[in-house]
Amino acid sequence: MAARLTRLSEPTEGRLRLTILGGFLGSGKTTWLRHQLHEQAFGRVHVIVNEAAEAPVDDALLSAADQMTLLAGACVCCDARDDLQACFLSICDQRSRTADPARRLENVVLETSGLADPAAILDLIQGDPILARQIVVAEVIVVIDALNARDQMQNEALSRAQIEAADRLVLTKTDLAPPDTTAELRATLKQRAPGAEQSAAVFGSGSDLPVMGDARPFALPEIADATPITASQLDLGDTPDWTAFTVWLSALLYARGDQIVRVKGVVRTPAGRLLLQTVRRSVQSPEILPEQDDTRSDNEVAVIGRGFTQALLVASLSRFSA
Amino acid sequence: MCSACGFPAAPGHWTEAGAATPHERIRERFRRVQVLQKVLQGTGVTAHDGGVVPGIQVISLNGAQTIVPNLEGLWAEVETMRGRPFDPLE
Repeated sequence: MAARLTRLSEPTEGRLRLTILGGFLGSGKTTWLRHQLHEQAFGRVHVIVNEAAEAPVDDALLSAADQMTLLAGACVCCDARDDLQACFLSICDQRSRTADPARRLENVVLETSGLADPAAILDLIQGDPILARQIVVAEVIVVIDALNARDQMQNEALSRAQIEAADRLVLTKTDLAPPDTTAELRATLKQRAPGAEQSAAVFGSGSDLPVMGDARPFALPEIADATPITASQLDLGDTPDWTAFTVWLSALLYARGDQIVRVKGVVRTPAGRLLLQTVRRSVQSPEILPEQDDTRSDNEVAVIGRGFTQALLVASLSRFSA
Repeated sequence: MCSACGFPAAPGHWTEAGAATPHERIRERFRRVQVLQKVLQGTGVTAHDGGVVPGIQVISLNGAQTIVPNLEGLWAEVETMRGRPFDPLE
């Protein structure tokens, strides 16, 4: 893969540079990207955001991008491949119509859903005769959650596939993880993706990585066939009962935190529009979002995980809020 | 620190983010304990919050009583008192 990679500084023969941003559910992809966009690390950039859940949240956070396309409701590496292909083609088309090279789009950043395998997206571009000539894959950046990576790598084949596809690994939440654990994680990542450069970021801004030293990689057992992860959607109605919802969600996370991989959504409360995000059992302190014109996805919460159905969640929640 | 429960003042738990004013906060607490009393029926554990003492009181069938600071602590206490966690999907 290294041969066809072009770093941001290298010439691309007029082609569009694509950066694929991957990483497991809740690893911190959007937080990282939001900071990079704020610092204008990508120049004139078109951001494509893909979310497996129906109710998009990430696009609201990435308003610093020049242009943005949102592909929600399916994963672009499998179910929504055609949508992604059409999106790339239209971006290339628009770019080739811009006569002034100083205004021409330089970069495309694709933020994949947490369920995507970056390798499948590389295959898509290589397989399309137009895209292969218009787009050059600059880098595959995979964001790794230093707190949960060990568990994810031991249990999820997808998490390993993402790491193996990476050119650059960005370790997030390193301020919360013990340095010894991060050193072990680094050794494991080195073993899985020897060529990938490792760096650390806390809330998007660069931070120091603990030295690897002679830390030993942790054991990764063979993964038995696990039930696939599914995304469910909960509609909380126009006037959601935040209290009943949080009583329910806190109980659910306590009892099933290992199966509920991710919960994400914007909920309207008397205190404002709250962005709610969880990864396994840890809940981020809800962020109050500014009022926006587009509030279509308010009060819809995505629950991603395994071992439950949407109907079961809806029935369970209704017992709490009735 | 509260002299009734001994919990040091901490930034609010995420479940309490829905209220901005003291008025909303107390209403949210009463609503919270109302929901808890309903869903804990049949588990042998009850919850009580009179709005005066910070935290939620958890009471088991045999009279054991504890005050927990938030919902996360509550579900852990419910598990201790029942011997198994309360699973909302069951």
